[in-house]
Amino acid sequence: MQTVTLSLKEKNTIPIEADAINPDNFASKSKDDIAAIMVWYGNAQSPIGDLFDVSIDGSDSAGNTKIIINGDVSRVKRIGQDMSAGEIVINSSVDMHCGSNMTGGKITINGDADSWLGCEMKGGEIELNGNGGYYVGGGYRGEACGMKGGKITVTGNVRDYLGEHICGGEIVVKGDVGLLPGISNSGGKIVIEGNTTMPASEMKSGTIIVKGKVAELMPTFKEDGTEEVDGVTYRKLLGDVNIAGSKGVLLVK
Amino acid sequence: MAVITDAICSLCGSLCDDITVTVENNVITDVERACILGRNKFVGMFLHDRIESPMIRKNGELVDVSYEEAIDEAAKILVNSKRTLSYGWCSTSCEAISKAIQLAEETGSLIDSTANVCHGPSALAVQEKGGPSATLGVVKNRADLIIFWGCNPAHAHPRHMSRYSSFSKGFFTQKGRKDRKMVVVDVRKTDTAKLADKYVELEQGSDYLYLAAIRSIVNGHEDVVPEVVAGVPKEEIIEVANTLKEAKFSCIFYGMGVTQSRSKYKNGDMVSSLISDLNQHSKSVMIGMRGHYNVTGFGQVATWETGFPMAIDFTRGAPYYNPGETGANDVLVRGDVDAAIIAAADAGAHFPQESLKYLAKIPVIQIDPYANPTTELSDVVFPAAVVGVEAEGTAYRMDGISLRMKKLIDTKFKTDEEITVDLINKVRELKGGA
Amino acid sequence: MSELLIKNAVVCDPINKINCEKMDISVKDGKIVDSVSSGAKVIDAGGKLTMAGGVDGHTHCAGKINVGRFMSPHDMRMTNVPGLSGKEAPTATTRAQVGYNTPNAFAIGYRYAKLGYTTIGEAAIPIIGARHTHEEFEAIPILDKFGLTLFGSNWQVMEYIRDDEPEKLAAYVAWGLKASRGYGIKIVNPGGGEAWGWGKNVSGLDDPVPNFDVTPAQIVVGLAEANEKLNLPHSIHLHCNNLGKPGNYETTIATMKLLENIKSKRDRQVLHVTHVQFNAYGGTSWRDFESAAPQVSDYINTTDHMTFDLGQAIFGPAMTMTADGPVEYSNSRMLHAKWSNMDVELEDASGVVPITYSPKNFVNAVQWAIGLELALLVKDPWKVMFTTDSPNGGSFVNYPEAYTYLMSAKRRAEVIETLPEMALGRMNIPGIDRELDLYELAIMTRAMQSKMYCMDTKGHIGVGADADIAIYDLKPDSVDTSVEYAAVKKAFSGATYTIKGGEVVVKDGEITMTPEGRTYWVNAKMPQAVNDAMQVDLVQKFKRYYTVNQANYMVEDAYLPHPVEITTEAI
Repeated sequence: MQTVTLSLKEKNTIPIEADAINPDNFASKSKDDIAAIMVWYGNAQSPIGDLFDVSIDGSDSAGNTKIIINGDVSRVKRIGQDMSAGEIVINSSVDMHCGSNMTGGKITINGDADSWLGCEMKGGEIELNGNGGYYVGGGYRGEACGMKGGKITVTGNVRDYLGEHICGGEIVVKGDVGLLPGISNSGGKIVIEGNTTMPASEMKSGTIIVKGKVAELMPTFKEDGTEEVDGVTYRKLLGDVNIAGSKGVLLVK
Repeated sequence: MAVITDAICSLCGSLCDDITVTVENNVITDVERACILGRNKFVGMFLHDRIESPMIRKNGELVDVSYEEAIDEAAKILVNSKRTLSYGWCSTSCEAISKAIQLAEETGSLIDSTANVCHGPSALAVQEKGGPSATLGVVKNRADLIIFWGCNPAHAHPRHMSRYSSFSKGFFTQKGRKDRKMVVVDVRKTDTAKLADKYVELEQGSDYLYLAAIRSIVNGHEDVVPEVVAGVPKEEIIEVANTLKEAKFSCIFYGMGVTQSRSKYKNGDMVSSLISDLNQHSKSVMIGMRGHYNVTGFGQVATWETGFPMAIDFTRGAPYYNPGETGANDVLVRGDVDAAIIAAADAGAHFPQESLKYLAKIPVIQIDPYANPTTELSDVVFPAAVVGVEAEGTAYRMDGISLRMKKLIDTKFKTDEEITVDLINKVRELKGGA
Repeated sequence: MSELLIKNAVVCDPINKINCEKMDISVKDGKIVDSVSSGAKVIDAGGKLTMAGGVDGHTHCAGKINVGRFMSPHDMRMTNVPGLSGKEAPTATTRAQVGYNTPNAFAIGYRYAKLGYTTIGEAAIPIIGARHTHEEFEAIPILDKFGLTLFGSNWQVMEYIRDDEPEKLAAYVAWGLKASRGYGIKIVNPGGGEAWGWGKNVSGLDDPVPNFDVTPAQIVVGLAEANEKLNLPHSIHLHCNNLGKPGNYETTIATMKLLENIKSKRDRQVLHVTHVQFNAYGGTSWRDFESAAPQVSDYINTTDHMTFDLGQAIFGPAMTMTADGPVEYSNSRMLHAKWSNMDVELEDASGVVPITYSPKNFVNAVQWAIGLELALLVKDPWKVMFTTDSPNGGSFVNYPEAYTYLMSAKRRAEVIETLPEMALGRMNIPGIDRELDLYELAIMTRAMQSKMYCMDTKGHIGVGADADIAIYDLKPDSVDTSVEYAAVKKAFSGATYTIKGGEVVVKDGEITMTPEGRTYWVNAKMPQAVNDAMQVDLVQKFKRYYTVNQANYMVEDAYLPHPVEITTEAI
């Protein structure tokens, strides 16, 4: 087991872009090697050691590497981007693109996460113990697919476009969700335990379950009786009818 | 006295190119065919509120300085910045825009246009679904159904309806307005709506639902549409859907009512999908009603030079694009930049308070012909020539047709392009010396 | 006065019938000359393959490609071909680069130069949008450019053909070339663009264009006659009707036959048919879809009046863009893909739709085969221009990969092994063992372009030619191109030297300098009386139907900072 602890020395306002912070990049590296890894700070690069206090315990493979991040990293973007294994624990709110394109491993955030959390992720797990921003598990501009695999769990609320273009994987939000969750869903599963607005628009396939209230239902779904999930009976809606060959299922109360 | 014909009006995205301008002793004394807004730009307006000299803020006051001193000061701000926002560049020429992009690239800055507060969501919609469009002349010659959605050309684009749309006459529309049906969709009965055959009033922010309902009907799923959507009874939605299906050629002109209301770019995305569905039955296109006369040009130049139409971030060298993260207001609200250059647009007048508060905290460089609310926030100010009146250059009409603006009168002021080139050279000099 | 001496070059220069012979090349002031002084800068080519700079005579590099870029932020991230795609930060020499199928303008210049190309032709300029095309030309560094102007659904053209006014038609075409600063006549789905104005299409050569009472066949022949009356350097450049439809090969062959009797005073074809891969489809539906390359090739082998280009498909993501508006709409519905469209008043239409050619998809697999079959079944390489119709069949950065398919049966067999069984029965490529040699490749990638565009300073390195030269890291004496295809691909992917106008712009695959290129256009002269009569009609068009005034319509000199004007006299 290798444990790397990073503590932000001084809170920044110009964002730090820390795609270099992930277990794949830290595994089996010494404290000095890790401190020398460059991250973007504004339009120049800085060594991690200039921005964070680094401490390290043990040396191991990526799968057995755990990164603990302390200090206020709410202006540090892209932590855990592209990670394939290991674990990251962030004890603060975190900036955009955390865990984007990750393929494995686990990220735990004990705080809020800004937008594009787990964007285009393909595997692994993200646990957000706080609120999320826009495009949780979504896709980047112009892409056909957002999240393709893995699981994101959010204990708080998230904003608009949850799981936009999701093509696989699962998202569970315990709180409320903003506009248009699961838009263009093509095979993902989304469970919303709170309330939301206009879910599942242009859904092609996959499942979306809303346990709370739906403020406005899209005028693009066919009623298809009821379905029971975990002992709860839902109205079953099929669509979106405007998408050719759609097989999507929307379950609402 | 000189009479200049076929002059191009550099006010709005209609870019009318049939203006006749009379110039006496380097003053425009007469303007023919322009609308009242355009006429004001040609005669008079540009004489008022001009910034007369380069200025630098010293001890809280803007004071006149030499051009060289201002360039020096501005370049220092850019070189010392960790991340600069370059914003605006829409009431200027494509040639100036090209140089602005180069400056942003060389300084590792982020550059965005006024689309950030108007039609930016239209670009995002195109990136989702594409933009099925046409030149304005196609509408003039063919359209038997014209829909104005969330826009009010009677006020914002005064000659649009006579030159290109409702009242214009064309090859297959010889009788003009009589050959066309006109529908207006909005949240309030505008002056444009008063000219329409049919006015549909939507509940604020419900465009997306209404568009989806029309699509369901067009695609043969009338049964899934509830009795009322967006505050409109089902039978009225069916009527509009049928009008669209039965038209020979329809065009949806859409404005900020679509792009800046709830669901933002997803509204434009849904318009695009509706157009695609409609083409199963008839011919249909969509055109955005662009405001600043060359905001379309910014999108074009930026796209061929950087791959992206707006909100381009050179912070890490190669261009990165992610509106929501890299848009002008995104970074100002978050405090993600430490300097700004604002040119040929008035952020001071159009940005939300939160953004302006942050702008007040960081060094701001302004390039503009006019003193405006942005000037109040600025630390270095460059007066510029009025492009399209005092300088020539290229601009793009709302439909993507580019035209060459003429220089009508002489000026003592430098152009946006010249000032930007001087900044590039000074930045290179400072960086080379570092 | 700058002089350059390239020593020990193994030159492949088909125009001058030089087949991989070791020689020296002298360059002075941007031109190839007999000899240079002893003070000339010397480059030792060390026995490496040396050709004229490549000429891509049909590519989408300015204008419509910007629609493709605009809708494709996802393309800007793509890194499918390392070194020739994706994002690159600016350097002291180069601007920032992005993209794969729709790269930014700077990247287009750098990447073509890295491949040893020095001249490119934009395949479609709408006259009213020509100013935009030239703005983008100006932004593309290094390369010389030219563009083909769209006339195939133009109201004035169709009316003159309907009214049997060949003189006025020629005068209009000459005016249109001048207005757009175009190099030649492009016809896309003749009449189809106008039909698309009503959401319709024309179904073939004899299907009249709605409201204009002319047929596509009449448009093609009328414009071909005007082309020869104007004595233009290029023939008509034709994208046939029914593109992309199973069974369309019959329309394609019928169209080719239509032009058999057109005569030209110039030493070139009278017809160039473009991206024939998309027009050599057999079958009656996508179910029984098959290659009709043999039928099309058989016909081309019997005639000398035409040339064609491939439109080779490359597996992976591509971006279709064409003035064929109805085709793009059908593509978008069939593929459930995003769709941009631009109908152009009085002139034409266009559309842009992304596509992915998958080797697992039987239709795509057959498409891949058809391009290669056309190149290999047509016997005379001087009739064949190599293209992918970039980026329709795939980005030009894949040219080196495609060369290996043409030069190595072994390489083809490797690909064929990955294709679905069902596709193999619908194609002929597994049974074709022809392999192009370097001489034939030089013909298809530069020499034939010199002839087909009558560009006598391009596509060769004889005395008097522009000093546009590519030196590749291949030793023709020792390389076996049918086996060493990896080496072939590597060599063509990054030239050892690319020399443009006598200046070294690429060394060892990296950009060394970025001079501005020139723009070629044709000023065709018609008698003034005919021009005047034509103008009477045109003035009405502007007065009544265009939304741009005639005075603001012509592309101004300011947009061609480095023009090369070719003048012709009407016959």
